[in-house]
Amino acid sequence: MRTDPSDNGGLFVGRRPGTAPVHFRGLPQRGSELRRRVDGSLAGILLAGMVMLSLLCWGPIPIACLWIAAQVNYLSGSVSLGIFVAFVGLFVLLFGALAILRRLDQAWILVRRAAGHDQRTGVLGRVFAVTAVICGGAFVLWFVLIHGPGSNVMPGNKP
Amino acid sequence: MSLLDYYRQFEGMSEEEVNAGLREEAIERKRKALMRVQTLDLSQTTWPELPHPSIVGAITFVARRGMQRYPHLRGSQLHDELAERHGVDPARVILGNGAAELLSSAARALIEPGQRLLSAWPSYPLFPIMARRAHGQAVRVPGGVDALLEEAREPGTRVIAIASPNDPTGELLATGELERLLAGLPDDVAVLLDESLVEFADAQPVNSSLELASEHSRLFVVRSFSKAWGLAGLRVGYAIGGPGSEELLAELQPDLGVSEVSQAGALEALRTCSEIVARRVAAISRERTAVTDGLRERGFEVADSQANFVWAAHPAIDGGELSARLARAGILVAGGAALGEPRHVRIGLRDSTASGRLLDALDKSL
Repeated sequence: MRTDPSDNGGLFVGRRPGTAPVHFRGLPQRGSELRRRVDGSLAGILLAGMVMLSLLCWGPIPIACLWIAAQVNYLSGSVSLGIFVAFVGLFVLLFGALAILRRLDQAWILVRRAAGHDQRTGVLGRVFAVTAVICGGAFVLWFVLIHGPGSNVMPGNKP
Repeated sequence: MSLLDYYRQFEGMSEEEVNAGLREEAIERKRKALMRVQTLDLSQTTWPELPHPSIVGAITFVARRGMQRYPHLRGSQLHDELAERHGVDPARVILGNGAAELLSSAARALIEPGQRLLSAWPSYPLFPIMARRAHGQAVRVPGGVDALLEEAREPGTRVIAIASPNDPTGELLATGELERLLAGLPDDVAVLLDESLVEFADAQPVNSSLELASEHSRLFVVRSFSKAWGLAGLRVGYAIGGPGSEELLAELQPDLGVSEVSQAGALEALRTCSEIVARRVAAISRERTAVTDGLRERGFEVADSQANFVWAAHPAIDGGELSARLARAGILVAGGAALGEPRHVRIGLRDSTASGRLLDALDKSL
């Protein structure tokens, strides 16, 4: 079954849906070659920042929230308060990080365009997916090889 | 440009913004198209509408049947149809490539070098030209039948050319006046009566001059399919002479006849479009009255037209200036300078919308 609307045997000259060129409000004044290179480097820095922030979302932020919740639990003696603090902290930090990531992604698109690339979409989805795989793999390695599940099959390094 | 502004210029527009921009552009295009006023060309005497589809169909049929033969010189269906419609002997009817060619041929056949061709003036600009082409002398005679009769008594006068209705004045030569002219002319003077516009006249029967042609062998009536029939591009006209004019008529007809394609179109028009022409004539008659009255109310001198145009002059504005002012208002009229009377303009008639636009433009221009 044909699903491509532009696959019409050459009868019509059209473009694949969703591939329209970017419409600018005015013709952009592009910078010099040096500036484009600088913008290319800046785009790389922004991408690295997005990767780092995304990695934070998959490990350090949840761990930090759990650590804070544990401290609250210890100081207040209330488990419920600890759980509540953990949820609120996770909510605020994760959604804050996502908002920052989205802004970084938009900035990355603009900087890529300024560097001379026909950048139409962002990279946030791919960054999130890649960091998820990386963090998931790291967790599996840590869980299985370093800490261990604590079962009889895989006893780990418990004394 | 600040650093942030530099990067913000690379922000793309959202789909909603693009669509909103496209909608605004479409609205603006539509507004401009509605505001654009087409130029109204009232400078021509030909009919402005396209020919009826049945005429185009008849022409196409003949063209597809083959055009490798020469057309019929005599005895064509169009020729026979015209003779029957006008109730004259077919030998007294000839076809030509438009009335102008028949008039020129008649002038060449009748005028010896140096002889005179009289024409009332202002009149059809071809008359003096065809006298010169026949190596004759063109004499422009302002005034009516009396002036023509007086001038015709001068030696060397051979032909009187009259357009009725007259182009550019639109005036119709009454049958009684024509009869008086024919009766008063010397025996060797022939009358070429150009009735290309006669279908538009309603002051007397359209065929009244043909009845005179049956009695006066030196009267040649020339008619055309170019005006009321709206077939100027086909170049078909015909001439009807009096009894005894057959030999001369045979000289006038084109050497290799009239195109079969043109004949087919004219014949189809005769057979199927008579009612359409009658409606056109009635509409022109209404507009003629309305425009004439409107012009006179605005101080114009307007000749009593029986054609599809009016000949008008303003007491304070030259014809060239008036036509220039109307042109600035998007209305083209024929200036009188090229037609023999610089004070006048010739204004073609169309429909009530065109008449209203003309009178409005005059109100603003005067």
